[in-house]
Amino acid sequence: MNIFLHELKDNRKSTIIWTLSLVAVVVLFMALFPSIAKDSEAFKKVLENYPESLRKAIGMSLDSITSLLGFYSYVFTYVVLCGAIQAMNLGVSMLSKETREKTADFLLTKPVTRTQIVTAKLLAAVVSLILSNLVVIMAALVAAQAVSERSFDTKAFLLISLTAFFVECMFLALGILISVLVPKIKSVLPLSLGTVFGFFILNMFGSVIGDKAVRYLTPFKYYDPGYISKHQTYEIRFIVIEVIFIIVAVTASYFIYAKKDIHAV
Amino acid sequence: MNVIELNNLTKTYGKARGISNISFTVEEGEIFGFIGPNGAGKSTTIRTMLSLIYPTSGSATIFGKDSVKFAPEIKKEIGYLPSEVFYYDNMKVKDLLKYSGSFYKKDCSQRIKQLAELLDLDLNKKIDDLSFGNKKKVGIVQGLLHEPKLIILDEPTSGLDPLMQQKFFDLLKEENKKGTTILFSSHILSEVQKMCDRVAIIKEGELVKVEKISTLKENNHKRFKLETKAPMPQGFLQIAGVQNLEIDGLHVSFLYSGNINLMLQKLAQLELLNLWIEEPDLEEIFMHYYEKGN
Amino acid sequence: MNLFWREMKANRKSLIIWGIGLLFMVVAGMAKYEGYSSSGQSINELISQMPKSLQAIIGTGDLDLSTAIGFYGMLFYYLLLMAAIHALMLGANIIAKEERDKTAEFLMAKPISRTRIISSKLLAALVNVVIFNLVTLVLSLAMVSHYQQTGEQLDDIYLLMAGMFLVQLIFLAVGAVIAAVGKRPKRAAALGTVLLLLTYLLSIAVDLNEKIEWLQYVTPFKYFEAKRVLADGTLETTFVAITIVVVTILIAITYHFYQKRDLQI
Repeated sequence: MNIFLHELKDNRKSTIIWTLSLVAVVVLFMALFPSIAKDSEAFKKVLENYPESLRKAIGMSLDSITSLLGFYSYVFTYVVLCGAIQAMNLGVSMLSKETREKTADFLLTKPVTRTQIVTAKLLAAVVSLILSNLVVIMAALVAAQAVSERSFDTKAFLLISLTAFFVECMFLALGILISVLVPKIKSVLPLSLGTVFGFFILNMFGSVIGDKAVRYLTPFKYYDPGYISKHQTYEIRFIVIEVIFIIVAVTASYFIYAKKDIHAV
Repeated sequence: MNVIELNNLTKTYGKARGISNISFTVEEGEIFGFIGPNGAGKSTTIRTMLSLIYPTSGSATIFGKDSVKFAPEIKKEIGYLPSEVFYYDNMKVKDLLKYSGSFYKKDCSQRIKQLAELLDLDLNKKIDDLSFGNKKKVGIVQGLLHEPKLIILDEPTSGLDPLMQQKFFDLLKEENKKGTTILFSSHILSEVQKMCDRVAIIKEGELVKVEKISTLKENNHKRFKLETKAPMPQGFLQIAGVQNLEIDGLHVSFLYSGNINLMLQKLAQLELLNLWIEEPDLEEIFMHYYEKGN
Repeated sequence: MNLFWREMKANRKSLIIWGIGLLFMVVAGMAKYEGYSSSGQSINELISQMPKSLQAIIGTGDLDLSTAIGFYGMLFYYLLLMAAIHALMLGANIIAKEERDKTAEFLMAKPISRTRIISSKLLAALVNVVIFNLVTLVLSLAMVSHYQQTGEQLDDIYLLMAGMFLVQLIFLAVGAVIAAVGKRPKRAAALGTVLLLLTYLLSIAVDLNEKIEWLQYVTPFKYFEAKRVLADGTLETTFVAITIVVVTILIAITYHFYQKRDLQI
């Protein structure tokens, strides 16, 4: 419990900064919605001069991206990006910081098992992420209600918002696994930025060219807002993949960390 | 009861460094010295005992329990002071010590205050702002605040001024009187000589000897220095008990442990110009353990 | 010169990893061009009539994805993002690492002025950035010429790379300045990341609303955008000028503050 509280305190500053930045991003982007809605109305008029088949194809997707939920889904991509970096940072630094700051000797000569240490730190990281998400989701909801003239599907809105946390959990688990595998991590950020942006670019690129296989490769694609708002639920397939991945990564991390030699500074 | 029991403790890192087949025991209430030159494997041994690293083979038993299997339980009663202290930079001394104390199921606040006062340590400063010596003090308080039954010190005195060193030694002796066992690792012999009852000597990862300090010093070790009239015949002093033989022209010097009468009879065969027989200091006795390749 | 080579060696591994990332990005990205079924002339024409904000959301802008170079233009957005991350991390870490790794005492006790130290380090960083740029250039030329149709110009790639180089310089200087001025060198990379994310998100927001177009001067990601460069066939003088001025000022500040800095040991 003391390690958990200590970690939570240690995470506090960065959690607050990330949370505020995310709120700023959500509010800033949502504030742009009214002008987008106007643009889209105008464009629909232009569309009327085009043949019906074409109109249908483009009109459909236009509606889905310029509705409030559609626009939120677009904005949400970037929220998830930031959240993923936050989570990956937490995951990578969680255990490696004790070695980097040379405090491992202090912590590991205390009467606690390494399993207890990992558990406490993991819990603290998850709680930090949950708190951060709660605040961001509330801010998003308030912002959405403020800019939307028509009512929107709140349940779908929340279901979409929740997926940020799911994606973050995957990056958290990935981060922990990397941190116990790499012998010496001098600085966390290049590692987590490189990884997260790698997946993000894969995701963005994949969605522009409509590649199907990419969906399985990058966590950013696991929860498709379009599917969620249509079916009011997640795709079971991806939930299963995520759960399996997290269990494997976290178990492996526990195991490797318990067996790891902690060398003198 | 043996507080520490090492059985053929071995740790290898690929082909390089490490320790092999270290075995010794430390009894309850002892101050046990652990001595060797830099890189001999002192820290490796200690880190294995604390299960910071895991033995390749052999085992360490502390309080009668296996050091790997019962690590958390054992650590309840261990206080550890590493040679270089590093703590969470952005914490205050007070908060760090409180955090440290929170790992043990007892109230340590009184003890923290007492120790800090004794060592003249400002509890309200940030760790970041402390000098090396003051960080070391934090380390000492941190290692003693839960009144452990076993204190493990890895080169503890570096960074402490002589006055503080004395205070620290007094503190350790006081703890020892209360029945605390102390394992004291160092490469400074005078420290060990001052503090310890017994000593284990380690060199290049192997245990050379475990000996009582008193025996080591008594052990009939005498330093002989002589000046002869003519060069000493070759191999003249090749007898049991002669160590560190140095011949520089007509000047001869060596350490001797054994029957003094025999040696004197032997020396009587020479024509001497001068003869000194002195009590050697510990340093000299150890020197030949330290020298490589023996 | 010894310090320069030391830094080159220290960054070699990271540069190789980035190179592999680039290789993957360019090769896999352009390979998708072959399989990419262009939505046809009429849709392209329609998209070009869309308001800018909607184009941005759809993700293609007004790039002509049916040509190899147009498709590459889309890829370039992500290459630019990668280059910016690389340059920023490099700039921040190369200055901050001595204090972070507690090697500052070692280095400062040597008979070498701080100005020399910064010069050597910045030179090493510059060479790294140039290598990064050249690798991208070679890969891009190879892949685009492999897929190009007859009559397409490859010269624009040189132009895009020149733009990318300028953006790299900006982020390199930003990273260096943060590390040199900031009080806690450990946080330099983190602070830089916040700035990078902010400007990246800003560049997206600018696309969404024409009213905030003036913000394009604040975010380097907008300076040499593929869609503009490809349409104009040149880099905009204003932005080139801004870049040169900004980089010069930032480098001057870096020298000045590092000179006066109380090193954290």
